[in-house]
Order: sequence, then C-alpha cells, then structure tokens
Amino acid sequence: MSSFWQATIYGLLQGGLLAMIAVGFSLVWGVMNIINLSHGAYVLLGAYTAWELHAAWGLDPLLGAAAGGTAMFVVGYAVQRLLVNRIVNAPIFLTLLLTFGLQLVLVQGMAVLFTADYRSIATSYASESFGIGDVRVPYGRLLAFGVAAAATAALVLFARRSRTGIAILATGMDRTAARLMGINARHVYALTAGIAAALAGAAGAMVGLVGTFSPPDAARFTLLSFVISVLGGLGNMYGALLGGLVLGVVQAWAGQYLPGTWVNAVAFAVLVGVLIVRPAGLAGRAFYEARVEAA
Amino acid sequence: MSRLLVTLISTAVVVGMIALPSQLYTGQVRVVTAVLMFVALAQAWNIIGGFTGYACFGQVAFFGIGGYTTAVLMEHANWSFWWALPVSAAGCAMFAGLIGLPLLRLRGHYFAIATLGVAEGMREVITNLGPLTGGGAGITVPTVAGRGTPWLGNDGFYLLFLALAVLAVAVAVLISRSRFGYGLRAINQDEDAAAAAGVNTTRAKVAALSVSAAITALVGSAYAFQQITIYPQRLFDVDITVTMIVMVVIGGAGTVLGPLVGAVGLQFVSEYLRQAYPQEHILVLGAVIVLVVLLFPAGLLTAARDAVSERRISLLETIRAYRL
Repeated sequence: MSSFWQATIYGLLQGGLLAMIAVGFSLVWGVMNIINLSHGAYVLLGAYTAWELHAAWGLDPLLGAAAGGTAMFVVGYAVQRLLVNRIVNAPIFLTLLLTFGLQLVLVQGMAVLFTADYRSIATSYASESFGIGDVRVPYGRLLAFGVAAAATAALVLFARRSRTGIAILATGMDRTAARLMGINARHVYALTAGIAAALAGAAGAMVGLVGTFSPPDAARFTLLSFVISVLGGLGNMYGALLGGLVLGVVQAWAGQYLPGTWVNAVAFAVLVGVLIVRPAGLAGRAFYEARVEAA
Repeated sequence: MSRLLVTLISTAVVVGMIALPSQLYTGQVRVVTAVLMFVALAQAWNIIGGFTGYACFGQVAFFGIGGYTTAVLMEHANWSFWWALPVSAAGCAMFAGLIGLPLLRLRGHYFAIATLGVAEGMREVITNLGPLTGGGAGITVPTVAGRGTPWLGNDGFYLLFLALAVLAVAVAVLISRSRFGYGLRAINQDEDAAAAAGVNTTRAKVAALSVSAAITALVGSAYAFQQITIYPQRLFDVDITVTMIVMVVIGGAGTVLGPLVGAVGLQFVSEYLRQAYPQEHILVLGAVIVLVVLLFPAGLLTAARDAVSERRISLLETIRAYRL
C-alpha cells in the first residue's frame, strides 16, 4: 500500500509543476484561440536561463525562476507582437505551422548552443526528503509544487481582479467589443502571450531543480500542456491546475502498475477520451464555451 | 488552359519521369524518390486538410499503421508485398473510418489535437506490442528469395513511388471535380450551411478521412518495404505530419497543383539545406516555415495566380486580411 501512496504523492507534486506549465498555454488558447506549439520550448529556455545563472554565479533556482520568467515574458511578448499577431485571423493550421516553425528554430538553436546533453540544476536541498509514515517527500519537488501553486493562484487573482487582467478576459470573450471599449487588442494579446511564456520559463527553472532536461523535451511539454488544458477546459485557469494534478496522478499510477512505456499511451488515451466525451473539460465549463463548438 | 492541353502536359511529365532515372546517379534517384513520396503524402493530407478544412495533425498514424501492417503481414504471415500493400491500405481506411466517426464531430483545434493524440498513442501501442511488432527495436521485412518479396532496388522503388504519386494526384483531381469534392469544399467554408444545403456532412467527412488515410497507408507500406527495417520512432514521427502540412500550406491548400508544387519545392530545399548546413538545417527550415507563413498565408500558388490574373502582387493584401 505504501507504494501506492508514494506514487500518488509523487504524481500530485509532479502534476502541480505540469499545471504551472499548462496554465499559460491554456490561457493563450482560451483568450486568443491560438495553440502555441513553441510553448514547450519556452519551458526549456527558462530552464537553460536558470541553469546558466546557477553555473555562472551559483544563483539559487528560485531566483533563477524569477530571472527565467522575466526573460521569457520579453520573448513571449515580442513573438506575439511581431509574428503571431500577423496571422491571428488566418485558418488555424497557419498559426499551428508558424508556432511549429518557431519551435524548430528555438529547439535547434538550444541544441546548437547547449548541446543535447541532459542538464540539471544541482542544489544541496533538492534531493533531501522528509517522511510521512512510509512515504518520502523530497524538498525540491515540494518547493516546485509550492511555486507552481502560488504562481497559478497569482495568475487567477491577476486575471479576475486587476484592470489589465479583466481586459485580457474581455478581449478573449469578444475582441471586437473589447476594442470598441478602448482596449488595445494587439497589446493585450502580446501581454497574454508574455504572461504565458513567463510562467513557462519560471516552471522551466523548477523542472531543472527536480530533474533533468534536454532540448528535445520541448515537444513533450507542449503535448502535456495540450492534455492538461483539455482536461481542465481551455482557458479555465483553476481547471488547468485540476487537469495537471489529475494527469500527474494518472501517469504516476500508470508508471507504477503498467509494464513498459504504456504510461505514455495512457496520457493520450485520457486525452482522446475526454475530447470525445466532454470537450468542455472535466471541470465543467470552459472559459469561453462558444469556442468549444464553433472553433 | 483547355482540358486537352492539361492532359497532354501531365502525360508528358509522367512519361518523362518514368525515363528520368536512366539520366541520374543513384544518390539523385533516391532524392527524387523521396520527393515523389512526399508528393503522394502531401496530396493525401490535402484531401482532409485542404479540401475539407479539417487540420489532421495525426496523419502520420496512417503512415505508421500502413507500414507496420505490411511489415507484420510479410514477417509473420509470409505474405507477398503486393498483397500486403492493398490490404494495409484497406485496413487503414477502415481504421480511419472507425476513429473518424467520433473524432470528426470535433472542430478546429480539438480535432487537430485529438488526431495528434491518436498518432502518439498508436506509436506507444506499437512500441508495447513487442512480440508482434518487435517493439522499440524495430521489425525487419523479409526480402530474401523464397521468403517475402525480393527488394525492388533503387529504380524499382522510384517507379513504385512514382505510381503512388500519380495515383494520389489523380484521386485529388477526381475529387476536386466531383460532387463529393464540392461537398467537401462546402464543409470547409461553412459546415452548418453545407448540412442545410443537403450535404451528408458526417458521411462526406468520414469518406474524405478514409480516402486520405488509404493513400497515406499505401505510401507508408511502400516506405516500410523500402527501408527494410522500421522503428516506431520513425514511422510515427510527428515531423512527417508537419512536413505534409507545410508542403500543402506553402503550395496552396485545397488546390490540386499547390501541394504538388509545395512538396517538390520544399523537399528539394530541405535536401539542399541538409547537404549545405548539416548541423543547422532544421533551424533554417524552421525559419523558412515562419517566413513563408507570414508572407504567403494563402500559399505560393494562390499568390502567384492572383498576381497573374489581377496583374498585381497581392502580398500586402493577404497580410492585411489576416493580421490583428
């Protein structure tokens, strides 16, 4: 029984981190109806930023997360403002292709700069752990989970309470009406993309804290973000947190009880199943329900 | 252009293509064979993605299933390749019909992601069915005399892929002129209006996906035989799907000539980049994709056609139409 609880705890902690990656992806999807295939590359860019700072000045990954997040905010804002905004109204496979092209450039660029070797940010505390009964809880993963939960909560608060956050949600609901109310949609879109990229970048530093990373991991992070956003209902930020936790636990259980690499198949089976049965997500309503049916 | 002229030109091109290998080195024959393979793949994606407007991001699933069906039938059931090829295509068309019924109810991004999930999931299933498929270590098609089918050789595979490319283009031409094709285009423009106008949208969409899957499976089957040993990572590589889509979009989605131009152009460009910049060619390819999407969102062929028919460059107008 203790192996079951160990897997559950591990899955919850991992799921929280995945949720932090996915929440920005889900926000961009919900507000702009854009699927950003370079989202996973942002995670790794943040991870490499934190890794470089740690290697150069011994900066703690927590501060590295802040630095990586800030850097990625700038990148995300610029990419949206200069590139993606130009084809927002085009058929969907064009935005998918544009962001896929960007992903190729970023991932290959990182592979050239940092090689494809697996890296990790080694700290004195990440692998230490404390016990609850038989279950071990590593401090590094707990810290990553805490950062992820705090960042997600801060994002929800920002979106619901601040003027800028409300402008983002309003633009997502009806862009034309929002523009008529004096909202600068180009800026708001870029801001949304910047926030999503910043969360991804900060999460990247946490990925480096708890495990290893390498440029080809980008595609996996993007795919997991898909799954979580769909589970949670797109654009629904609490939903993304719930989706992340569910996916983390399901994957941890599958890894514990299924042979081989069936664990990967489980994630996609869950994805396709949820899409067919409940396209608005497990949490019920998507942020902007009309988008679910009308594409 | 009159229909007769088009028929004459395309016949001349095909005859020329059949005679071409005698004029080329072995390496060049392989490059042209790869081009022909992608012409067939791009045209197959065009049927579901271009005509119907359903962005199938899991097309490589049909490629992989076609390849693995052929390999398993040849290895474990001792079938000849020439039997395995059509059976793989038929099986894959049925598979596409089965997954199409629930998945084609989804629209936009949801369809794209669901099909992507199917492709990734199928790769994992094939990887974990070790006894049948060889798992991650791959499966080898028997090509020795007395067991399996003898390997066709470079020129043989050139002709096989040429035949598949011609078949794919012919199917696209037939569809684009048929009542079925007009139904698909109507679905692309406005699905609810198409249904109201009497198009059986579910049947048309499932049929389009099945035809597209059958052609993709034929190509995958031939590819498996050509490679002899196949691996799940390669046969279900998401890059193959994306390459098809890029080719169709660069050329002009929903036209017959566009994917042809896109496939030939992109495959030669990426082959050149691979040889000129062995380290960074994928990086350059990514930059090319970004530039083409930004400058020619409606496709090169459509941009060229507008430039000729309206005697002006429509570059800025398409950009204005799509930007925020």
